[in-house]
Amino acid sequence: MRFSLLLHLLPVAALTFGACANKNKSDRPFGGTTDSDSVRGMALNGSPLPERQEGVSFLGNNVDRNRFSPIYFGYDSYTVSPSESGKISQIAESLRGGSGSIILAGFTDERGTPEYNRGLGERRALAVRQAVVEAGGNASRIQTVSFGSELPADTGSGESAWAKNRRTEVGVVR
Amino acid sequence: MKNLLACVFLASGSLLGAAEPPTITISKSDKLSLGLGALPAEVASVLQNDLLRSGYFKIVPAASAGAGFVVSATGGAGGLLGKVEDRGGKSVLSKTYSGSGRAQAHEFADEIVETLTGNRGFASTKLAFVATRTGKKEIYTADSDGSNLSQLTQDGSISVGPALSPDGRVLAYTGHKSGYADIYQILLGSGARSRIIKFPGTNSGAAYSPEGNRLAVTLSKDGNPELYVTSAGGGGPRRLTRTPGVESSPTWSPDGEEIIYSYVDKGGPQLYRISASGGSPRALSTGHGYNTEPNWSPDGKKVAFNIREGGGFAVAILDLASSQTRTVGSGQDPVWGADSRHLVFASGGSLILLDAQTGQSTTLLGGLGGISEPTWSR
Repeated sequence: MRFSLLLHLLPVAALTFGACANKNKSDRPFGGTTDSDSVRGMALNGSPLPERQEGVSFLGNNVDRNRFSPIYFGYDSYTVSPSESGKISQIAESLRGGSGSIILAGFTDERGTPEYNRGLGERRALAVRQAVVEAGGNASRIQTVSFGSELPADTGSGESAWAKNRRTEVGVVR
Repeated sequence: MKNLLACVFLASGSLLGAAEPPTITISKSDKLSLGLGALPAEVASVLQNDLLRSGYFKIVPAASAGAGFVVSATGGAGGLLGKVEDRGGKSVLSKTYSGSGRAQAHEFADEIVETLTGNRGFASTKLAFVATRTGKKEIYTADSDGSNLSQLTQDGSISVGPALSPDGRVLAYTGHKSGYADIYQILLGSGARSRIIKFPGTNSGAAYSPEGNRLAVTLSKDGNPELYVTSAGGGGPRRLTRTPGVESSPTWSPDGEEIIYSYVDKGGPQLYRISASGGSPRALSTGHGYNTEPNWSPDGKKVAFNIREGGGFAVAILDLASSQTRTVGSGQDPVWGADSRHLVFASGGSLILLDAQTGQSTTLLGGLGGISEPTWSR
């Protein structure tokens, strides 16, 4: 309890006092592997999302949802696992040249309450955005959206279904 | 108990007018006896159900010596003339109610509750919720007794997270019609609908302030899901939080000065409390590892929220003065009624009304392909 309170309050205090580049290890908000990773992550997560492309829908046929594999997450977690780094690199590669853009859509399994799931889904989409940008992708070409526990990839119950549903999908705008 | 009632009288004094309110002590086993006199057929059962559902009364024969008060009414072209007399035949309430038969009965029931207990009634309030009757999640509305069911949205998409304004005239919800997650607003009188918040990222979980002139909402436009306060129309967002994790489900204090919400980073989601103008959030300890979708009671004393229990969810109530938490039933997404005594929540796809004082529960609505995420006007 005390630990989670500290994680919550310290970044607030850090920003309040203008210490944006705080290198205090206990202030590491994103569980990155080094302090410099977390400082970059903090700065990125303060970076506004680009304007939307209205008329482009993740659920519509102007978005290709099958180009990239979904990135999977642990229970109640939004940390991008090292095992997903190959997928992240491919997405980042696609956003280095050319002019296309993507929509990252975050999803959860059914074991949370609805609004909590919508928040967690968005955080998963944003965690993938952060990882893709750190891998060299262009942040101005990434939109995010959360569907919470709606539209499960596997409609079954049990861990094998839930594991498939805790994901961020990549929609490539055609 | 007497202290609690004294507070209720003070808080709702304006509703009582100049008349001195009768002093009545209410406890679990101490219901006020009402006799029902002559009532028009079209309002009798609605009124009786409302009075019983309020939790304050038991109905006895009107001629019985045990009847503390006698309720009667006469219908007519001018509306429903409702009367309440005490045992001595002295009038305590006499008023004409207009509108439909059901609306007349609900208003009369609420005035009986207010006159005899000093507390707010909830019979005239509105409910809204999500149901999947059509195969898609849409928003529905109903009266507080489950009648007058109506499908409000026909988005054919995913329409969730409804929030009624306290006066029940406006509803905000999270809709995916654009493919993104936007906040829509519907004026319930005219049906006029507009997309009021459509920032980049996910816009979700809007909640009206007690005066109905502001929204608290989770927006991710600045790079992370954070809490913001906007005007009721969605304009002028002001950021309240700045954290690495996720804020969700803001709920307002009755004076509109503070907000309680759920926050998750590493570990389970916890409840926090923050000034509606920003500043440092403060953790609320509940003793539970999962605490989501809080709802602050209109009297400001309690917060109902979800906990995880036995592989499912349960509804818990945190008493803010004592910091004691108790679990009141299995289900999720509790919302307080105007009386700060009853909760409505979803359980097994049905809508449950729970008297948090007695523990008595009733199913208000079922079916509809599964009901979730209720919201309740005050």
